[in-house]
Amino acid sequence: MNGLQPSARRLSWAVARVVVPLCAFQLLTAQDLDLAEKLYRSGERAYHARSYAEAFETWNQLLQAAPRSAFSAQALIRMARYHIEVEKKPDAAMPLLERLKTEHIKSPVAAEAMLLRGEILAQRARKPADMKEAIAEFNRVVDLYTDNPAVAGAQYQLGLAFRDQSQWGRALQSFLECYRLDPLSPFAPKALLKAAEVLDLQGDLPGCLRLLERLRERLPNTPEAQEAGWRIAVRVKWRLQKTPLKTEGPWPAGKAPKWVNTPTLLAWNADGDLYIYEDGLDRAVILRKAEASPVGIPVKGAKAMVVPPSGIPWFITKGGLVKEDGLPLALAGNAPSGGMVDRWGTVWVGDRKVAALTLLGADGQNRTLPSPTTNAMAPMPNGGVAQASDANRDVKFLDAAGQPQVWIPYGKGLPGVYRSVLALGSDSLGHVAAIVEGGEFDGVVLWGPDGSVLRQASWRQLGLSGKFVAITIDRNGGLILADRSNDLLLRLN
Amino acid sequence: MMRRICFTPATLMLLAGAAAAQSVPTPQPDESLKETFKQAKDAWANQGDRDGASAKFEQVLAALESRARSLDPAWAQVVGETYNWLAILEDRNPAKKAEAGKRLESLVAFNPDFELDRNITSAKLQALHEGLRSAKLAKVGFTYLPDGGVLKVDEVPGAASPARYLPFGAHKLNYSKPGFAPQEVELSLVPKDAKNVDFKLDRNASTLTLYTFPKGVDVLLDGKPLGRSAGQAPADMAPLAEKAGLKAEDLSGAFVVSELKVGKHILELKAPCFRPKRMELDESFTRPYADHVLEAIKLDPSRGTLTMSSAWPGGELFLSGQGYGPLPVNAISVCAGTYDLVVKYPAGGYSQRVEILEGKALSLTAKPKPRLAFLGLDHTEDFPGKARLLAQLQALGDRLKEVAYLKAKEGESPTEAMGRLRGAKEAELLLSLSVARDRPGTVVDVVLTTLEGEEERFAVKPLDEDPLADLVARLNTQPQIWESGAGVLVADLPGESGPVVLQVGDAGKAGLQALKPITQAGGKPVTRALAFRQALAEAKGESLAVTQAGVSINLPLNRDPLELPLQAPTLCYTFVLAELRLRTIAAKGDDVAFLKLNQGITLMHFRRYDRALELLREAKVGNSTRLGLGQGTVEYYTGICLGKLGSVYIPEAIQAFQQAQKYPTSTLFGPDGPLVAPLAKQAAEDLKN
Repeated sequence: MNGLQPSARRLSWAVARVVVPLCAFQLLTAQDLDLAEKLYRSGERAYHARSYAEAFETWNQLLQAAPRSAFSAQALIRMARYHIEVEKKPDAAMPLLERLKTEHIKSPVAAEAMLLRGEILAQRARKPADMKEAIAEFNRVVDLYTDNPAVAGAQYQLGLAFRDQSQWGRALQSFLECYRLDPLSPFAPKALLKAAEVLDLQGDLPGCLRLLERLRERLPNTPEAQEAGWRIAVRVKWRLQKTPLKTEGPWPAGKAPKWVNTPTLLAWNADGDLYIYEDGLDRAVILRKAEASPVGIPVKGAKAMVVPPSGIPWFITKGGLVKEDGLPLALAGNAPSGGMVDRWGTVWVGDRKVAALTLLGADGQNRTLPSPTTNAMAPMPNGGVAQASDANRDVKFLDAAGQPQVWIPYGKGLPGVYRSVLALGSDSLGHVAAIVEGGEFDGVVLWGPDGSVLRQASWRQLGLSGKFVAITIDRNGGLILADRSNDLLLRLN
Repeated sequence: MMRRICFTPATLMLLAGAAAAQSVPTPQPDESLKETFKQAKDAWANQGDRDGASAKFEQVLAALESRARSLDPAWAQVVGETYNWLAILEDRNPAKKAEAGKRLESLVAFNPDFELDRNITSAKLQALHEGLRSAKLAKVGFTYLPDGGVLKVDEVPGAASPARYLPFGAHKLNYSKPGFAPQEVELSLVPKDAKNVDFKLDRNASTLTLYTFPKGVDVLLDGKPLGRSAGQAPADMAPLAEKAGLKAEDLSGAFVVSELKVGKHILELKAPCFRPKRMELDESFTRPYADHVLEAIKLDPSRGTLTMSSAWPGGELFLSGQGYGPLPVNAISVCAGTYDLVVKYPAGGYSQRVEILEGKALSLTAKPKPRLAFLGLDHTEDFPGKARLLAQLQALGDRLKEVAYLKAKEGESPTEAMGRLRGAKEAELLLSLSVARDRPGTVVDVVLTTLEGEEERFAVKPLDEDPLADLVARLNTQPQIWESGAGVLVADLPGESGPVVLQVGDAGKAGLQALKPITQAGGKPVTRALAFRQALAEAKGESLAVTQAGVSINLPLNRDPLELPLQAPTLCYTFVLAELRLRTIAAKGDDVAFLKLNQGITLMHFRRYDRALELLREAKVGNSTRLGLGQGTVEYYTGICLGKLGSVYIPEAIQAFQQAQKYPTSTLFGPDGPLVAPLAKQAAEDLKN
């Protein structure tokens, strides 16, 4: 199973640290200003020396001595950033950010504070409705600080928030507005990449390709331009060029036989590293630069594997969801067939026997969605899942609310009808791959985001035999198959 | 090798006047006075009109007497004769008889060497004149070898005449002639003295006499300037002139190069609009020392042509301050050289240093630049680093390429300057300073304002190494609102031999195929999309030759409009606005619409949505099936502006967004931007909710 990650909303805001003019909005005496500046600089020196306690003590003195000075605003934002970036405790930053917002509203630093506050609120959100307060905060930045560089950041965050709420049109507007403000801002490449993906989700492949190419061409030295490169290549290869599938053989090339033991589950993390569950060894390994190393806790009999932002895999077994602590969380059924962790930290679990999807919330709140029984599941970039049901003899692409957006009857667009889907795999571009068997067609199928068949090949056509139990899609437009009986991974291209 | 003509006695006469030709001539009286003088003489001699003659002589004297010291010898002779005539006439008039003696006194004071005309002057007057002279002066006789030189008496130069009347006392006499060592004699005179002085000079150099065409040629010997040829050659120089294909009046007067010592020399002649001439003088000019007269030196004209046009109306051409009339000018003949070329427009200015090369045609197209006027600083404002910052601002023009910079005028306050510039519309942009008192540290805002009131502030620290660096960079950055394109989208794909065509556009008609790589563009191999874009950007003409699957295809090129970003830190938006306004004056067709669209976007930067709306309403783009900015883009931004004007305009904003949806090929940003229609649909829905 593939592990599409919840959107990692990084708080390490990379806004260009413009020299913000220290704006005093209360006239202070020259002596006050002098003392305030000295205290601020002293704290800054300690901070740079990583004497954080000393820095905080000095800055707190500043906040007492000259609470309304521009230097106090600067000290507050530095302290807030310390909690967010160094301590990784964003909640501790909130009081400081709120103080900045209320006491220094006219300061340009307040825009940065509101943006950070909005980001923390968005990170806390556990469902789309929770985003309301964060969106309001981002809108305040846009409305109040029109010329501030933070506005571009706020527009980008608005885009993310609307995307997480599945408001694609608004998300696109915000991403494009972010780019339009300043095409060279640190947010611009991210915004352009996200906008391109939204366009594809909306069915505008040419528009998506235009924006991705624009990103590669105009911002070529950014990580996002690299990202755009494979996203273009894979889309063009599968949706436009449509070359036939062929077997490349064992993967990765050059590995010794039996380097992997009974692989049954496959998933990716956000960095593009492959996770493989070895059923015979009851563990997962992570494949980095063709080298496998164990990851996570040993778990017996995993039926699905998801990779949360932490990078430590979670497993779904008959006994329940097993996270890093090893304590299983009970599920509605005992025949799990697939799982996915969404942007809110909620784990979606499908079951072969239970006609419902179980949603295990990050806040401990569990619920179920009405659904036919599930034989395989894979995450989709719209926040929903691809779900195969042998009982219904169809594959559905569900949105983030669990509503079907695409419906594909078994066998549609293929030379023959199959009876069962053994495994589903997906990528972040909305492509879904399946291992199907029984009936008139045994082999692999690749669907596009709209459910159209992009590729298909029978095992015979591929010249393959084995027990293929898992499938996934790599960033070079290849399908990776796990063959548990022969202890190997194969790549189709 | 220099050609010379033989030294003749006639030239000796010329040489005598050579020094005068080289000196700066003093303006002489009106020639009509000589006619008056002649009429006076006729009135007496032929008509016996004594009173009429006297009146005319008085008239001549009145005109000349006050400037008697600066008159040339011919006019000095006129003055002397006038005194002579008046003395005669007054001597014959009983009522004025006493005046005659005073006339002679004045004559002696004016020129003691003047000799009365013995044919018309009575013996009595002659005796009176002689008596007046001998009472104050002694006669000195001279002989000169060689003659034709200059005699200085007590440092005052004059003609080397055979005799001079000099005041009693000690005198220093100096006789000199080019090519000879001068001789000096000291002399003491007492009443009734009569002495003779014999000058005999020793030769010590050669001389060179030359006549030039044109007149006013700078003469340099061995790199040292000697002076400029002037005057006009006498009529007897006609043979010399004819040899050079000229008339005598075309030639300058004689220019004498004296002190030509033994050895080789380089003679150079230069004149504006003429090709310089360089001549080598070999030793034969100085061995032996002699006086040489060169053949007439004719400089060849050196001119080029200038053609200048401008799409902007009202331009007037000036070359180094000299007006050449309104543009366009077509192949005007201009002296070769370097000029400060200025075109004055009703709005904006253009200046460039140009070099016109001899025989070459220079063709230029002028485009006015926005004028940025520095208003100066209020004297009451003070801050550390003020003088340094002001000096940098006054010199800012040297660093700016895209604006015409006008320095602050001395003694004019910023308020006065603003009034003047606004009133006469002499600038498009105003630059002033504002000290930020509400901020700690020394921070000064450089404020740029358009005449229409858009304002932009740049905080600078006057004590920074280069406080104006950011402003300079922004003012030197032109807004890019066009790029060369072919309506083709290409991308780098793994394993392909070149960028693969993803979107064919109109190039499909030319034979370009989708999903195949382009391997050559503009005659060069291309392996990456970036190289293809580069070839597009560098392409000149209307098409770009590319190779796809071994087939050569000519891609028709487009000039695709682009949209300006709203808050780019690299742009100075007041400059952008002024620049776009100027460009719009000369634009035609769809260019006008796209310029107005970008003006509207720039006004949105200033949150002047009402004014942006006015421009967007005027922007009308023609129908196009090509992807790119279009009328849909204009309608979309119209909707955005209306939405910003408050809830009262929401119905109109929705209408504009609905209108934008009718243009399926309109995009944002440029030809590779997102389609407008779905964005407009979303925007309309948002407003409805």
